[in-house]
Amino acid sequence: MDAVVADNLVKDFPTPHGGDKRAVDGLTFSVGAGQIYGLLGPNGAGKTTTLRMLSGLMAPTSGTAWIGGYDVATQPAEVKRVLGFLTANTGLYQRLTARESLVYFSRLNGLSRPDATARAAELIELLGIEAFADLRCGALSTGQKQRVNIARALVADPPILIMDEPTLGLDVLSNRVILEYIRRQRQAGKTVILSTHYLDEAEDMCDRIGLLHDGHLIAEGDIEHLRQLSGEHRLSNIFLSLIRADEQVEAMVS
Amino acid sequence: MSAPHRIRTVYWKELIDILRDRRTLIAMILVPIVLYPLLMLGSIQAVSYQSKSLEHEKVIIGVYKDSHRIMVQQLIGYDREALEAKRRAVLKETGKKPDLPEPFEDAKIVVFDTRDELEKSIEARRVQIGVVFDGDRLPDLNEYGRTIKLSLLADVEEVRSQSAADRFTAMVRRVSKRMLDLRLNHENLPEAFVDPVAVKTVNLSSPPSILGQILPLVLVLMTITGAIYPAIDLTAGERERGTLESLMVSPVPVIDLIVGKFLVVTTVAIMGATLNLASVTATVYFGGFNAIIAQHGQGVPIMTLVLILLCLIPFAVLMSAIMIAVCSYARTFKEAQNYVTPVILAVLIPGGIAALPATQLSGLMLVMPVGNMVLLTRDFLLGATIPWLTIGMVLVSTTLYAAAAVAVAANVFGKESVVFADAASFSSVFNRSLIRPAPRPSVSMALMIAAILFPVWFYVQGSLSPGPGESASDLLWGTARLMPVFFVILPLLLIAYWKINVVGTFSLRAPGVKYVVAALLIGASAWVPAHEIDVLQVHLFGLPDAIAQQFEAMQKMVSELSLPEAVLLIAIVPAVCEELFFRGLLLSGLSSAARKWTAIVTSAVVFGVFHFILFKIPVTVGMGVVLALLCWNSRSIVPSMLAHLLHNGIGAYTALHPEWQRVIGINDSESFAHLPVAVLGVGLVVFAAGLVLLRTPRVAGEPKASAASAP
Repeated sequence: MDAVVADNLVKDFPTPHGGDKRAVDGLTFSVGAGQIYGLLGPNGAGKTTTLRMLSGLMAPTSGTAWIGGYDVATQPAEVKRVLGFLTANTGLYQRLTARESLVYFSRLNGLSRPDATARAAELIELLGIEAFADLRCGALSTGQKQRVNIARALVADPPILIMDEPTLGLDVLSNRVILEYIRRQRQAGKTVILSTHYLDEAEDMCDRIGLLHDGHLIAEGDIEHLRQLSGEHRLSNIFLSLIRADEQVEAMVS
Repeated sequence: MSAPHRIRTVYWKELIDILRDRRTLIAMILVPIVLYPLLMLGSIQAVSYQSKSLEHEKVIIGVYKDSHRIMVQQLIGYDREALEAKRRAVLKETGKKPDLPEPFEDAKIVVFDTRDELEKSIEARRVQIGVVFDGDRLPDLNEYGRTIKLSLLADVEEVRSQSAADRFTAMVRRVSKRMLDLRLNHENLPEAFVDPVAVKTVNLSSPPSILGQILPLVLVLMTITGAIYPAIDLTAGERERGTLESLMVSPVPVIDLIVGKFLVVTTVAIMGATLNLASVTATVYFGGFNAIIAQHGQGVPIMTLVLILLCLIPFAVLMSAIMIAVCSYARTFKEAQNYVTPVILAVLIPGGIAALPATQLSGLMLVMPVGNMVLLTRDFLLGATIPWLTIGMVLVSTTLYAAAAVAVAANVFGKESVVFADAASFSSVFNRSLIRPAPRPSVSMALMIAAILFPVWFYVQGSLSPGPGESASDLLWGTARLMPVFFVILPLLLIAYWKINVVGTFSLRAPGVKYVVAALLIGASAWVPAHEIDVLQVHLFGLPDAIAQQFEAMQKMVSELSLPEAVLLIAIVPAVCEELFFRGLLLSGLSSAARKWTAIVTSAVVFGVFHFILFKIPVTVGMGVVLALLCWNSRSIVPSMLAHLLHNGIGAYTALHPEWQRVIGINDSESFAHLPVAVLGVGLVVFAAGLVLLRTPRVAGEPKASAASAP
């Protein structure tokens, strides 16, 4: 069974002048259990909106999605239990320490106080947070914050992870720690959906890649498949050539 | 983790979070502890310094004739004599030296050329008062038969002029008294000759009434100030700092988050107001200002302050709920502050009305949000005896408003359009084309409608009460006409606007036969346990006069009707309207978030409260539970309507045919007597049979109610 299924997802946003802007346009894809799926696309392609619909934060205008077999629209509580979600530009509680934040979110996920404390300690070690675990989050650097954020998404040890640009703005060291951790999650049998701007990162990490442009998938498959499709070798070139092709098609249609 | 655990987790986290915030600490601790005593010290000292300096300031008295100058000096001389005489008299009587005012010897007298010039100088504030005599010679102190006539010119808007005028008037009064004494003495008449009636007003207000009128309003302000910052920080702040999304993907129901946050805001508001009050108290007592305040009243007893703190809790609860609800709409701090400002004004208006001395805690004011609490606090402080019914009304309506506000907050907080600034504008919450059809109303909508209807219905009922000379049955006719409008048509319009399924909301389905039978059994026998509960209450608490009068008035109203009229007004209309509202809209709204028994009991309590009579609450709540159970189990509104109809119908018949009471074994003269054992036994058995039938598991083949389609 596929861990994540999106079926014809559509999201319209009302515009200030009346009428709607379609951000996601009939998106369908699925991710098998234990895979890392990369969602790639230029700014405004609809990546973040798609991930928000998958996590149940946003209701799709039409279409459905299943996470771990649960319908996002009708079983939001079950979805939240099997899903770890790292949103883009997530903030942390500035006046709590990293450890307190992790204990808090563990508690919200139903862990008892001793279990939550233990789980927080475990994540602090795994993500190399020890040195700043007892500082207030407001005092942390971008990279440190992002590690705490990822730890936060993992408190319930969810089988499915959705990460919106997990390495945005990070230094090399933090970047490595985080990607290493995501790889280890795959080894542990978890399913990961990753949205990123860094193409070589996607090439390195992802089992399958979906290229999103103007709210719909223009290509999907493993890196070899995409190479054949575009006749290009480097992912950045594949990306550009496929987007150009899509724009030509759209120009012809209109 | 259960809901209380989750709420506790959220509560402690948020409390720690907010208390670590420097801004909270400054607003909550630094301001009251440092600023208030300083301000108070400063202002009180300034005031007392000013009044002292006014007393010692040289007064300039203007006249426009030299003869008047001499007359003023003479008058001052008479006053000295009068004071001296008084001093001697008191010394002789008590043996102590009396504390008398100082004579007006320090005044400087300036002579102007014309009266016009004198008046202009007073207007220009160069001279404090002017004195104009009729005639050019003052009589001697012991010269009888003449009245000294003089005009005192002053500018009462100007504090120095006013103060000088007061001193001059007091002096004239002393001289007048002295002259009167001499005259009485000369004629050998007692003092009583000129004072046939002596009135002395004894002030029994405790504490001073100014305090009672101002403090409640100050209290509102303190509590609001305490609630604003945490409310914004915990709602809009969450969104602004980007932590809201993480919170929303946690498996915690929004209502738990909101309740936790609401409790933190309440806590902080109460803590803040307590500190404020404590700081003011400490300043007053340890700063020695109680004596100054006591000059104008009787000081502030400590017990009063404790009472104020107790009154503060429901205040804080309501204000925190309102603040959380309002701020939940906001995405940023700035936006939240913009929303909060008009709310504060809206709160101050009823608070201000309530602070007016003439406003009474009755009628519409009983259910006026905020206003009723201000009045209750005021009456408390003034030491008035407040009936329990009034206190209950205020607390129940306040609780209802607070619950509705929290429910609204839970409905709005984390809504897509609020979470994502880029998703849609705030107006989309109200944009009908974006509303999705729903099978049932939400809890917040149901509670909101109930909370709005509560004061409206109370007011409608109050305005329908017959005045002198009007027919008593007008109340019943008016109620019967308006009930369908307020309980059915208006909610129906709202339901239709929000695209909510009408059939599902009002449970408009055909019932199973056995539920009809159960309803008939219950409807026919419910008066038996209801009567016994009434009897029990009368035995335990006695029958308050007000309730007895109400019963009598009701009896009289019904007796003016014919039987078909009584059945229509008392049985049919209430049964249809109240069932559609309480067991339809309210129960189905509650069922969308609460468990079966929580929903049933909550709807029953609201049903009971809507009857506005404390005495009837046990019976109406009990009836509410049974009727809600009928509706819930049968998934249809029909059985509860039937039972309600039958129950009220029996009541109407009994009221029209008092002889019926004898048939069932109640003595005419004692309507609150126990039923005969046989009637009681049969009644309870029938009632129980109805309940048992109602509780029997569903017969196979009948559609099973799933969680999603239950009423």
